[in-house]
Amino acid sequence: MDIKFINAFISGLLNVTGMLGLSDLKRSGLSKKERLEIDKDVNILLGMTGGMNGNIVLSMPEQTARNIASTMMGGMEIAVLDMMPKSALCELANMVAGNSVAGLDADSVSMSPPTLISGQNIVALVSLVETLVIDFTAAAGSVTMSIALEG
Amino acid sequence: MELNAQLAPFVKATIKNLKDMLGFEVNTGGMEPETDEFTSQGYTVLIGFTGGWKGRLILDMPRETAMKMASAMTGEPYSSAGDEEVLLSGAELGNIIGGNAITEINNSQPGLQIRLTPPSVFTGMGMTMFNARVNSSSLLIKTDVGPVKVNVAVEGAQ
Repeated sequence: MDIKFINAFISGLLNVTGMLGLSDLKRSGLSKKERLEIDKDVNILLGMTGGMNGNIVLSMPEQTARNIASTMMGGMEIAVLDMMPKSALCELANMVAGNSVAGLDADSVSMSPPTLISGQNIVALVSLVETLVIDFTAAAGSVTMSIALEG
Repeated sequence: MELNAQLAPFVKATIKNLKDMLGFEVNTGGMEPETDEFTSQGYTVLIGFTGGWKGRLILDMPRETAMKMASAMTGEPYSSAGDEEVLLSGAELGNIIGGNAITEINNSQPGLQIRLTPPSVFTGMGMTMFNARVNSSSLLIKTDVGPVKVNVAVEGAQ
């Protein structure tokens, strides 16, 4: 994967979370995996076609998901991860992907609508291609962004 | 069986491939409307699409069915739906079914230019798939190895 993608996606996520009031989010890790597999409770997945073909996934524990949604919704307390916080998290993924792609001069990238997958003991296989895994940490908890781009 | 325009090509492709490629007997039930949250039976293949229709296809089945379906494709027995080969089989099945369906859609409605994103496969307990502001519809297909649910969500569809 091209090095230029890494910074675009890191700053994409940081720009958006900064705008939404999660300004203490810091990058805590960067790694490369042979393939994209995830094992967290809440995953927001978004596909891309066109100038870039692949998937982006934001994964986090449920508590982190509730904390982030709460911050996005003006500090409202969130006891259950229901429709409203889930919509907020989908919108977060949409904004992060949009912002990241805008930072690249990739032409005509189309994105599929985000899908939020939640449950327990999830085992997933998202992509068979080399995947960039970026970890972020904040007081709200940890978030992992995985980017798997084909060809 | 009254299918909407979005679901019909995917159902047709699923039935065709389960019959012709895997040799299963299939029976279809009726169409079921879903809300913006879809509850999984345990194993889900998800493929997004972009272009004239923005949305996603879900092929959902119990874990047992997924293992048997993978066995039908590879000839190997499996003991866990999280087995890499079971996940890969689902991704491949999703690619074939999704590919067939969008080829048909794009041929009959050339302006749409729908493209598929790479498939993802999930297995877990109490899984739900949520799409903001997008309602979906499902069709349950009964096969020799268990029920397979085809679910399609397209933004702005009725």
